Amino acid sequence: MNDLDRILAQRLDRRRFFRLAGLGGVSAAVLAACRKAETTGGGGGGGGPTGATGGTTTRPSIEQEPGGLQVFDWSGYGNGDYYPDKERQFLWGQYASETGDEPSFVLFENDDAGFTEVAAGARYDVVHPCGYRYQDWVDLGVMQPWDPSLISNFSSLNPGLLESGVIDGQQYFIPVDWGFIAPLVNADRVDTSEEDTFGVLFDDRYEGKISWVDTLNMMYIGGLFLGVADPFNMTDAELADTRDFLISKKHLVKFLWNQSYDFWLAFQKEEVWAGYAWPDTVGYAEADGMNYHYMKPKEGRVSWVCGFGLFADSENYHHAHEYVDSWTSTQAAEFLLAYYYYGHTNIEADLSVVPPGLVDALGLDDPTVLDPPNAIPESYIARRDVYAQYWGEVLAA
Amino acid sequence: MAEETEAAAATLGAGASGKTWRRRDRGATAGLLSGPLLWLILFFVAPVLFIAAYSVGAVGIFPTDAGVVSLEAWRRFLGGGVYMSLFWKSIRMSLTVSIAVVLLAYPVGYFLALGVRKRKYVLLLLIIAPFLTSYLLRVLAWKVILGDAGVLNSFLSWSHVRGPDEPITWLLYSQFAVMLVLAYVWVPFVALPIFVSLDNMDRSYLEAAGDLGAGRLRTFVRVTLPLSLPGVVAAFLFVFIPTIGEFVTPLLVGGTSGYMYGNAIQDLFTRGTAWQTGSVLALFLLGVVAVLMALFGRFLQARSVTA
Repeated sequence: MNDLDRILAQRLDRRRFFRLAGLGGVSAAVLAACRKAETTGGGGGGGGPTGATGGTTTRPSIEQEPGGLQVFDWSGYGNGDYYPDKERQFLWGQYASETGDEPSFVLFENDDAGFTEVAAGARYDVVHPCGYRYQDWVDLGVMQPWDPSLISNFSSLNPGLLESGVIDGQQYFIPVDWGFIAPLVNADRVDTSEEDTFGVLFDDRYEGKISWVDTLNMMYIGGLFLGVADPFNMTDAELADTRDFLISKKHLVKFLWNQSYDFWLAFQKEEVWAGYAWPDTVGYAEADGMNYHYMKPKEGRVSWVCGFGLFADSENYHHAHEYVDSWTSTQAAEFLLAYYYYGHTNIEADLSVVPPGLVDALGLDDPTVLDPPNAIPESYIARRDVYAQYWGEVLAA
Repeated sequence: MAEETEAAAATLGAGASGKTWRRRDRGATAGLLSGPLLWLILFFVAPVLFIAAYSVGAVGIFPTDAGVVSLEAWRRFLGGGVYMSLFWKSIRMSLTVSIAVVLLAYPVGYFLALGVRKRKYVLLLLIIAPFLTSYLLRVLAWKVILGDAGVLNSFLSWSHVRGPDEPITWLLYSQFAVMLVLAYVWVPFVALPIFVSLDNMDRSYLEAAGDLGAGRLRTFVRVTLPLSLPGVVAAFLFVFIPTIGEFVTPLLVGGTSGYMYGNAIQDLFTRGTAWQTGSVLALFLLGVVAVLMALFGRFLQARSVTA
């Protein structure tokens, strides 16, 4: 991987690069073209059957499409796992009424599981991964860019966040939801007078009362705590150190959570006092009246953005755009804010649906809250396989 | 002479018709077997061969696969390291579970076969009744029982055996939890082969032992137990083999310490592209199970012959 690749690979750096250079979309396209020329045959990014054109002239109209949109998504994002009626009504009710179609959902447990399934050959119409993996999806050669002109809500979306979905100069992903990764602690049980730190997840004082997430994200959280130069691009030595550190702290962990709701249930019952948490758990704790503290760790609060991608061989091109249009509406945004306490890219959403304390704590009204130095954007991990190998050893040890 | 010829012809005829019959029989057998055989070849033999090829790098799906045939992945695995230790840990856990389950299930099988006269099969059905409930639900129910704020700990704190802030934490998310739940799940299953071997036992042996002056304990040790051993070994294998590769139960109640070999295989295949390592782990497990089957299978046959 050369320097240009690295710049393009990390959306933060890319954004900063553009800002510094004062360049617009044209230069992005030029850069993308350069990159493509340099990586001939390298996974065929953007090389889907329709990837290069992005036009709609030769496509079948929405009436000619088969429908039955297949959505590859997280649990509770429309399939009804959490709020059966409301998910349907707010996230894709608009889609259903405009197209008369009912999407079907296939779920993945986490970003890695979803990506592996598709890398092994599974195909759907749309997928909803998070930003730090966008590049992987495009490199796989199975995605095609969106046509923003077909998404009526596009102009209401936060331009800064939209940029995170631009890969190789094209809008491959439409970012929708965002949030943080930080320790959530029970303020009755954990000493909150000390400075906030990810170290609470590795603190011997809370043995048996800690929950980590069950993904290799723990590797970069460990690296972040240990103070490595770039937690998303650790050297072998740093990875080995982090692995050994996590193994030495594993006995403190009650369980690794797969579903954020499982973590919440254990947190609520005080089975665990501290854990790797997304804002949804913070919202549940607030609604439950718990005495909690959502940390802003001194190492930095990690921020994430997730968005929709469109499969290159989808026969539901227009349906997919309608679906994302539904997801980017203000009513979808307000549902996400009010029920999951996640941020949404639609900046016209009414924040009064969220308790005022949470708006502040989660920075829902602050457009810069995801940017450094306010947060560390969860970034592309080029050597993800190596991270996975070390994390596998942590689990197996 | 003529009679002899006739007799010979008759024998010949019988032989010929016998051959035809055998040929037809063979045809029918082949016809009947072709379906299941094809099924096995397509969905068992072929995938195993694929996994074997993957484990040495002869095939690959992902761009990250090396594409070079080598035994490197095998060497890394067999040369020790975390996955090998994890394998031995899983073997230890499975052995503990299997022994415990056989010990628990034997009295159940014994009671059903020899202690009950009426409604034997109704009781047998009752034992299998938990299988009518979803496996996941049964495992999740244990979370409610074993949790820090679960049924057991609440009772202990209510009865002042332990303070409200001192629950027994190793009940859930531990190796203990995994083994307990596995044992619970497998006891009814394992009672069946033990029941069958005891139920098929010729009762006159017991009478003979009694007539020759053996007490109940002596009769059990010298007659009943040896005769039921094939059932016991079968029962043991029934638990041991599937539990070495178990991954659902540890995932739900195992926490970090209850992680088993099966979880490693699942994670390697579902959460990344390290399918080569996953293939090595999976194939090794298959090999170990095959060897166990071969060893115990012979043992089983020998027992049934002498029995």
